[in-house]
Amino acid sequence: MKIPLNQDGVSMQDYSSENLCTWCSGCGDYGIWSAAKQVLVELGIKPWQVLLCYDVGCHGNMSDKINAYTFHGLHGRVIPFAAGAKIANPNVPVIAFGGDGASFSEGVGHLVHAVRSNYPITFVLHNNANYGLTTGQASALTWQEQAMNSSPNGMPERTLPSMDFIFSLQPTFVARGFSGNIPQMKEIFMQAIKHRGFAFVDILQSCPTYNKFASHKYLLDRCYDVKDDNHNVNDFEAARALAVADTSERIATGVLYQNEEVPNLYENLLPRQGRKTTAVEEVEIKKIDELMKEFI
Amino acid sequence: MNRISIKVTGAQGQGVNSVGEICGMGLKRSGYCVFGYREYMSLIKGGHSSYQLDISDERIESSESRSDVVLHFNHHGLKKNLRDVKDGGIILHQTPMWEFPEEDEKWLTDHNVKALYIPMEDIIKELDVPNILGNIYLTSFVWALLNQSVDDLKNLVREQFAHKGENIINMNFKCIDAAIEYFAAQSDLNLVSLPKPDPKWKDALYITGSAAQGMGVVHAGCRVFVSYPMTPASPLLTYISKTQNQTGIVVKQAEDEITAAQMMSGSMLMGARAMTATSGGGFDLMTETVSMNALIENPAVFALAQRPGPSTGLPTWTAQGDLLLSVGSAHGEFPRLVIGLSNSQDAFDLMPEAFNFAEEFQIPVIVLTDKHIAEGLYTQQQYDQNSAELRRGKLITDTSKLKVVQSTDRYDPSVKDGVSSRWLPGTEAAVFASQGDEHDAKGTVNESSENAIEQMEKRMRKAQSLKDSLPEPVLFNSDGVISKDEKFDLLIVGWGSTKSAVLDVLKSDDLKDKSIGYLHWQYLWPIKTDRFEKLSSSAKKVVLVEQNYQGQLGMLIKMECGKDIDHKILKYDGRPFFSDELYSRILPLI
Repeated sequence: MKIPLNQDGVSMQDYSSENLCTWCSGCGDYGIWSAAKQVLVELGIKPWQVLLCYDVGCHGNMSDKINAYTFHGLHGRVIPFAAGAKIANPNVPVIAFGGDGASFSEGVGHLVHAVRSNYPITFVLHNNANYGLTTGQASALTWQEQAMNSSPNGMPERTLPSMDFIFSLQPTFVARGFSGNIPQMKEIFMQAIKHRGFAFVDILQSCPTYNKFASHKYLLDRCYDVKDDNHNVNDFEAARALAVADTSERIATGVLYQNEEVPNLYENLLPRQGRKTTAVEEVEIKKIDELMKEFI
Repeated sequence: MNRISIKVTGAQGQGVNSVGEICGMGLKRSGYCVFGYREYMSLIKGGHSSYQLDISDERIESSESRSDVVLHFNHHGLKKNLRDVKDGGIILHQTPMWEFPEEDEKWLTDHNVKALYIPMEDIIKELDVPNILGNIYLTSFVWALLNQSVDDLKNLVREQFAHKGENIINMNFKCIDAAIEYFAAQSDLNLVSLPKPDPKWKDALYITGSAAQGMGVVHAGCRVFVSYPMTPASPLLTYISKTQNQTGIVVKQAEDEITAAQMMSGSMLMGARAMTATSGGGFDLMTETVSMNALIENPAVFALAQRPGPSTGLPTWTAQGDLLLSVGSAHGEFPRLVIGLSNSQDAFDLMPEAFNFAEEFQIPVIVLTDKHIAEGLYTQQQYDQNSAELRRGKLITDTSKLKVVQSTDRYDPSVKDGVSSRWLPGTEAAVFASQGDEHDAKGTVNESSENAIEQMEKRMRKAQSLKDSLPEPVLFNSDGVISKDEKFDLLIVGWGSTKSAVLDVLKSDDLKDKSIGYLHWQYLWPIKTDRFEKLSSSAKKVVLVEQNYQGQLGMLIKMECGKDIDHKILKYDGRPFFSDELYSRILPLI
């Protein structure tokens, strides 16, 4: 596949940061980082036209390794921050990145309500099934029997069935990718960014240091693209079945489900309908004569 | 100062508020300054509640602990609130066959209180109207007792129920006429005499502190409001939501307080004016976000409506117990601004300033209010809309300036006042990372010792430049604000909603001419104490008035300038200072 390095006056070089990456050798973050830059170039989005929001975790170290407007905030909280940014200025594409620890433990409530609110943002889940930056503790998505730093006997809790959970929330966009497949990730990101509402993108990510159970090789051997099986992305039940299917032999990847019929949160805000300006452009001292009338 | 008060008690949902609201608005329109005060419990139906109106021809912003007329919707009021009536006052009730216990009977006689039973059930039956109209009947009775114009009342009722159709209005009128007639037949009931009205109040607003604050928020150009319901902050969310179709503001009820704080922060980063509002427990959840904004140097505005804690505490009552929380909350060291609102005037005036300071200094701003302000009803002159400023500090929006800006300008540690340039994602300029890890000038993570020192010192320089730009506390005497510092026999110091009770006490007849000053902090942190030091050293006595256990403002003052305040008038039972109560606590100091 040919990846254009220069599109509409924006190039990969524009997104290059002088800061050196600090991830482990073989970390899946490199692939996600590359695909993110590529999709922005291919969409002709310049670094100043986008806001990339990062949670806290290994992936968050991308925040200063990519030359764009970025934000690096608190653990578990990236989704509401990104959503707040988006509703203030819907003209700016907003992509939020977060790990499985942040998104399925600390900030799981935000994920639930992001799906429900259908915020017009993209959420990329860096899913390496463990807490990497705090040196390899089990997350809710770690396989239960795996010995991890905080659970040498395996977790006493069950693994959270993340895809079943997401599908139970009536999502409007669900995709799964693999950090070793950059061209496919780029395709997924492109559709996610163009999606009307909240795009949930689960990237299965290798973590060579702490995740010994779902390695790069393990994922490489199993991932296939549902496009090759003629999957209909508008078929909710089929998508859910693919997403929750046993992954020991084959792992379905690609855009699994998309529903463009559901309005996003901003479209549902009655007072904003028909407005040409954004909240950012409307900051001025406002007259309140009309408001006072009610109290006279 | 001439003041009278009327109080209505009853079960929540029984119509206590509607009597209070109609009388309050009506009296305001007749030319009175009215202050409305509600007490209720944390439940929806059945709990015991009250609505009190304190009425004067002069500015009045506090309640008395005993009223001239008390109307009880049910017998609970006759038990719990019997002694809330003044000597020589009137009790009205509608509890059939009620017999006062002997002790109460004696109390009523000793205090020359007249109790009148109004046979509401029979009257409603006779009038053949729905039960709910008993409220309008009782309102009209009180209205007649206050010797107010029946036509004015009818006009108000017509206005309030216009949307319900002529039939409903006519039934209301029928009740009004019947009540007036019934009142006229009570030959032994004296009229309650009000002072002469002052027409200046007629066009004033009768407004809650929350609506006042909401208008201030809208006026300030806030365009995104995100909140999670929590008493007593929810009335602000309700007001902003209710008016959203008029104002066009983006309102989001978040799934929790952390979300609310984060969404506000995201909107602020993009360049909108955004805010969130909560109470103590919710603010606890927001504090990590307060800290985050400090490091990314993002303007942020948090309204904290206080109620008594700890824990869920007294959810529907008032307090000033979260001052130290505001000043000390969230991890790490960073500059912040804490503002304390006091009434419907500065609930409006200070909101634009909250946003201005947040943007000028790129810091978190915490705006303290409390249940008393949030739900108190003030008679408020219409707001001056020409005074508020829009100050956005070093925000760059000009295209030519954006062209030359460097990524390293964002957190440039060499800036003298600690405030570096800020520009917005989505604008064509050099990009930067809004970095929540310690970072260098352009937001690259940097853990070096040199950088940590440089950036900490940069941020903390803002504390000094912020402090330099804040006004000293405001000084009042019984005539109002005074600019000249003078010698006082008694200097009262305080902040927040207690100001209202203090100023009302200063206006009481036997204190008016005494040498008493009141020093009020609107800007609580960083705290300025120069004026205080000067005034307190020349005053004979200094007294701290606060609605908390520890005297938290006093602690901050001592921390800042080392000065102890000897006398403290503190209250921490969830009730505001009543004017007569405060008067009696100040009196021994004179």
